[in-house]
Formats: sequence, C-alpha cells, structure tokens
Amino acid sequence: MIISVILIIALIYLLIGVLFVPFFYAKCIRHIDETAKGSSIGFYIIISPGVIVFWPVLLRKWRKALKEQAYE
Amino acid sequence: MSTAYSAVGWNRQKKIYDGWIAAFCISYLALFISLTLLFNSEATFETILIRSTSTLAVLLLHIILSIGPLTRLNKKFMPLLYNRRHLGVTMFSFSAVHGIFGIIQFHSLSNTNPLLSLFLSNTNYGSIPAFPFQALGFFALIIFFLMAITSHDFWLHNLSPIVWKTLHMFVYAAYILVVMHVMLGVIQYEKNPVFVLILFTGSASLIILHLLAGLKERKIDKMKFKLQEDGFVYVCEADEIEDSRAKIFCIDQERIAVYRHEQKLYAIHNVCKHQGGPLGEGKIVDGCITCPWHGYQYLPHNGQSPPPFKERVSTYDVRVNHNKVWLNPIAFAEGTEREGALL
Repeated sequence: MIISVILIIALIYLLIGVLFVPFFYAKCIRHIDETAKGSSIGFYIIISPGVIVFWPVLLRKWRKALKEQAYE
Repeated sequence: MSTAYSAVGWNRQKKIYDGWIAAFCISYLALFISLTLLFNSEATFETILIRSTSTLAVLLLHIILSIGPLTRLNKKFMPLLYNRRHLGVTMFSFSAVHGIFGIIQFHSLSNTNPLLSLFLSNTNYGSIPAFPFQALGFFALIIFFLMAITSHDFWLHNLSPIVWKTLHMFVYAAYILVVMHVMLGVIQYEKNPVFVLILFTGSASLIILHLLAGLKERKIDKMKFKLQEDGFVYVCEADEIEDSRAKIFCIDQERIAVYRHEQKLYAIHNVCKHQGGPLGEGKIVDGCITCPWHGYQYLPHNGQSPPPFKERVSTYDVRVNHNKVWLNPIAFAEGTEREGALL
C-alpha cells in the first residue's frame, strides 16, 4: 500500500515535470542562464530529463531571477 | 569552455576517448556473449543480455571510481579523467538496459504492476541472506540516473557546484548498493563463487587506491611552513618549480598553486571554479593556467578566465629572494591582478 502511494506521488511529480518542460524553455531558461541563449536543439533535448526531475529547483530559480530583475 | 551550450562538448580528444569507450564496451560484450554461448549453450537471449550488461556496468563503475585516486597518485592517468562524464553516462546506459530487461524478465508476467512487483515479490526485508536484492539495484540505478541526467555543464551552473558535487558523490552510496545487490544476487541464485571473488578483488582494489591517494594528499596538507617574514612564508626553492607548471602548498587549510610562467612566479587558489579540479596539477597552455580536469583556463596574473568567460579565482602575493620562494597566504579578492615575482 505504502509503495503504491509512493509510486503514484512520484508519477504525479514527474508528470508536472513533463508539463513544465515547454513552459521552462519558453519563459524561464533565458532568465536563469544567459549561456543558454543560442544553444543547440540537442542541448535542449539533453537537459530535458533533468528539467522533468528538477523542476522545483528551476521554478524557484526563475522566480528568484524575476524578483531580482524587477528590483533592478 | 564555450559561450553557448552544446548537447555534447566534443573535441578531438573527447572523440578519441569516446571511441576507446565504444571499442572497449563492444569487445567486452562480444567476449562475454561468445564465452556464455560456448560454456552455457542453454542460456536465453534475455539472460545473456541481463548478465553481459550488468557485468560491463560493474566493470565500468570500478574503472570510473579508480580514475580519481589514480590521477592523484600519478599524473599519467590524467587523460582518463578528462572525459569521465561520458564514461559515467555509458555505465548508466548499460545499468539501465540491465535494470529494464531485469524488470521485464522477472516482473512483467503477472497482473501486478512491474514496479510494485519489484518491491513485493520478495518481502524478506528482515532477513540478510534472503533480502530482496533487486530493490537495492533499483535504488542504485536511480542514483546513476540522477547523475547521468545532470552530467552537463548547464546543471553544474544551475544546481551550483556544491550541490552538483554532493549529488555526484552519491556514486559511493550507489557503489555500496551495487555491491550488496550483486553479493545477495549471487548468494540467492548462484553456486559459482567466481563473481563474488571478482567483486571482492575490485572493492579491495578501490579501497586501497583511495587510501593511498588520501595518504598522499594528507602528506601535502600536513606540510609545515615554519619560516615567516612580513606575513610571507618560505615554501620552496624557485628551481623546484618547472616552467609552465606549478607546485601546490597547503597553508592554513587553503591549497595554493604557485605557477612558473615566462620567468615569473604567480600564485592562485588551487580550486577550479568549474568542478573543483586541482589547478596546480595542470599546466600553462597558450598563456593560461589550464585545469587538468576539463580544460577551464585562468590568466596567471589575475586568476580570471580570458574574456568572454567569467570564472575567477583568488590570487596571492609571491616573492623570490635569493632563489627562495615566499608566499603570502592571505588571499586577494577573486580576479585581483598581481604582478608576480620576477625570477
């Protein structure tokens, strides 16, 4: 039972990550990492699994970057 | 170093490195499959696939974990370190093939979800010899997966070098899980002790290599610098430092690299901003101190990466008096220009 719940939570977490990927590339990445500008499509493909897994870190980083830019 | 990210940072050396990895893996698989067919003609395709990929992944893991201490013991192993990331991703790929086919073979034929079956088909969690070893392999695979998907400089920058390094240090936890996974698997399913003996030899070799490398580093860190003058400490004779090379000194728990370049000595912090590589073990290439790990570069006189790159390390004052090198261990701010000591 506990294992089923953990697996379902993990699945939901990863699904949110999948939904986050296009949003991240469209809105976030240019704010958090200047080096990503002009990067190849291969780069975006290769970092996608990481975006799916680490989406809360990137979301937090994006929000922080937005706040800093608004402050400036 | 580059101004925009690429999918894979290939250059000539990395292509050669990857070529050797591919040749080694193909040769190993061919040999393993041939020997299995020769001595065990009843083995199924799935069994051969699961066993060949698992043994290859374990072998690659031992090579990966040996590279760090080997390079600290002998600089000749440094080229192995240069593209260790690709070796790690290769190891994960074979582990994943082993894990996926293992789950398909042993857990996909019942009505239970295969992942649930992985944890529930054997519930002897209280027994050491009958412990469900497949669960241990699963957790090791998760660690390898997290390491593989973050094996890009984008993640190094965005997770921060400290978090990234910490995550990748979990390879040792994964190694312990792999050892237990293999040992318990052999105990529960095999009668031939050869796999246990091979793994025991591999583990013992890794432990010895890490101990030797640790002792060598400890020796450098424990060096005492007694002579002091105006905040400077005497570290060595000038001719002990080869041209375009450095010597590393650990003073007040900080490692400082003193480089010799164009008849001058320069001192910078020893830790590369990229992945914490030992800058003092590198050399000067095209006028820049070049990290031996991944080729990140810094100018000797100010510790800054050449434009347009922005990495910076601390610099230190160094002076030479009658061939004696004196170093001030108080760091200047990262990227501060120092004129160096004329020889």
